[in-house]
Amino acid sequence: MKRIVNLPKSPRVAAAKGVPFSSNPELKVKLPVWRSRFVLFVLFLAFVALTGRALWLQALSTEFLQKQGESRYARTLELPATRGKITDRNGQVLASSVPVRAIWAIPEDVLEAPKEKLRELAKLLDMNERTLRSKLDSDRSFVYLKRQVEPQVSDAVVKLGIDGIQTRKEYKRFYPEGEVMAHVVGFTNVEDLGQEGMELAWQKTLSGVIGSRRVIKDRLGHIVEDMRAVREPQDGKNLALSIDSKIQYIAFTKLKEAVEQHKAKAGGIVVLDAKTGEVLALANLPSYNPNERSVLTGAQLRNRVMTDTYEPGSTMKPFTVALALESGRVTPETSIQTAPGKITIGNATIGDAHAHGILSVAQVIEKSSNVGTAKMALQMQPQEMWEMFTTVGFGQQPKFGFPGAVAGRVRPYKSWRPIEQATMSYGHGISASLFQMARSYMIFARNGDIIPLSFVKISDQPIGQRVLSEKTALAMRRMLELAAGPTGTAPKAQVPGYRVAGKTGTSYKLVGGKYANKYVGSFVGFAPASDPRVIIAVMIDEPSNGQHYGGDVAAPVFSAVAANTLRAMNVAPDSTVTDIIIPANSTKESV
Amino acid sequence: MSGRINFMLAVALGFCALMLVNSQYQARRLFIELERIQAQARQLEIEWAQLQLDQSTLGKHARIEANARRDLNMVPVTPVRTQYLMGTAK
Repeated sequence: MKRIVNLPKSPRVAAAKGVPFSSNPELKVKLPVWRSRFVLFVLFLAFVALTGRALWLQALSTEFLQKQGESRYARTLELPATRGKITDRNGQVLASSVPVRAIWAIPEDVLEAPKEKLRELAKLLDMNERTLRSKLDSDRSFVYLKRQVEPQVSDAVVKLGIDGIQTRKEYKRFYPEGEVMAHVVGFTNVEDLGQEGMELAWQKTLSGVIGSRRVIKDRLGHIVEDMRAVREPQDGKNLALSIDSKIQYIAFTKLKEAVEQHKAKAGGIVVLDAKTGEVLALANLPSYNPNERSVLTGAQLRNRVMTDTYEPGSTMKPFTVALALESGRVTPETSIQTAPGKITIGNATIGDAHAHGILSVAQVIEKSSNVGTAKMALQMQPQEMWEMFTTVGFGQQPKFGFPGAVAGRVRPYKSWRPIEQATMSYGHGISASLFQMARSYMIFARNGDIIPLSFVKISDQPIGQRVLSEKTALAMRRMLELAAGPTGTAPKAQVPGYRVAGKTGTSYKLVGGKYANKYVGSFVGFAPASDPRVIIAVMIDEPSNGQHYGGDVAAPVFSAVAANTLRAMNVAPDSTVTDIIIPANSTKESV
Repeated sequence: MSGRINFMLAVALGFCALMLVNSQYQARRLFIELERIQAQARQLEIEWAQLQLDQSTLGKHARIEANARRDLNMVPVTPVRTQYLMGTAK
């Protein structure tokens, strides 16, 4: 509005000059009524808009504001669950998770910190300042500085009070027994997931379920109230293995000595409890330290006992002989002509290391004669033999609950040629893992039945499946005892104070489909022979220090492990013989 | 008369309100205490696991054998030097 000229400077001055207020000419201006109405209406509209907005926020779409409010006092906390411990049968810890912290940083914020603080941080994290700076020199907004840091160190780091340094809780798994247990227990990765062995097989049981709770926190960060029911975290269950760490240690060290002595490429050993089917020890060489896995090779990781198959060789003979006995074709005293130490089947010839002449069935096992075994096998139907092999688990997918266990190979009996039937009778042209071999000997160690194996401690006796009559099993046991005696192929398997029984095996290795000049020496046996408690299977792969026969490389390991194991298990001795005679010229088995 | 009642009720209301404030405060204080003790329990559990682990590490057979052989000059027993005690037959 334009001012009218000649107006006094202010109303007060005007009043003083005697000009009455009401005569202000400005008031005399008559404005159209609709204008004031219009202003009123606009103001009213503004109020309506405000009310509408308020109604919208408070009553209709309440979510947003409530969420905003809640986010200022409510917090969802993650409740971590620990992975279960793995213990041996006596409760000794084999694997346990310990909380540690991961230290991470927001690089932009951290780089603003004073130099001396960064230097101190580098010192605490055990890295030099340059490495630390290169880690921080990144565009990302999240950088792990170090994972799996001890809590004391992380506390010290937090105390430095550098902006942008945060910690996160995580777990680190420790394996106190190290390389001794490595292949059985396995290990977990940095995310606490099982990768190998029992850690992998029992992942579901061991891993816990993370819980959560929603709480109200006060200004000081204290939790003052739960907003809803807490979802309790469930810690992983502890797992008690069937392994006895003492026996495991004995088995591992004795195997190691043998592998070193014979300059072998690898070795494996299994100790089974013949009464319960529990695995007491399982060791492989080369092994690794599960706590320090930065330099791992495939050879170290390989669980040969479970995942490698080999041609078992003579350790297979007892099954052929047992079948011959069981079907009544022979008795332990039946004579078999093995001269002249070889036999031609079709157009192939198989032979013994020495010509033995006439042997009884018991002596065929004792001296490990290929010819004798083959002659017995040729009296039998392929189907019978196949059924025998299959019932004791060869060629069958194992149900041991161990990741990567292999089935081995037994070809269908319909395609067997006579020569193959003969070679299979003494363990060639057929393959199995050492673990399967150990289990199959259960029929001799347990009066003719076979029970399932277990890697976890069990409380009730498993039910067996009968394979042989008790009579045959006992006869076989006597033969195997002879084989592990002074006149057999494995005098070095003898144990002072105990009667032992078992069978050696020596076989060529298949390299690229052909038999190479490399051997696998093995021994499978049980002790004490009067009432077997343990079954022990030993395999030495490519011994290259002059000796390669199972009786020379594997049997001594059996002897040492059996002696210590029986003592550790408090088994009463069943023999008074304490000085072992090892003949200078022992019987060499045929390969 | 009704003024008196109103006054009494007002006093009672004020008292109740103060009590409510107090009990809420107590509840929170106790809750914080509970939290603290639960955290302590967790801490102790962790410590226990750590100690079990230490026990296993220190008691591992390799270490025992090394110590026995080296420091104590012990040798493994043999059956020749073992006297077996048999329980009498029942």
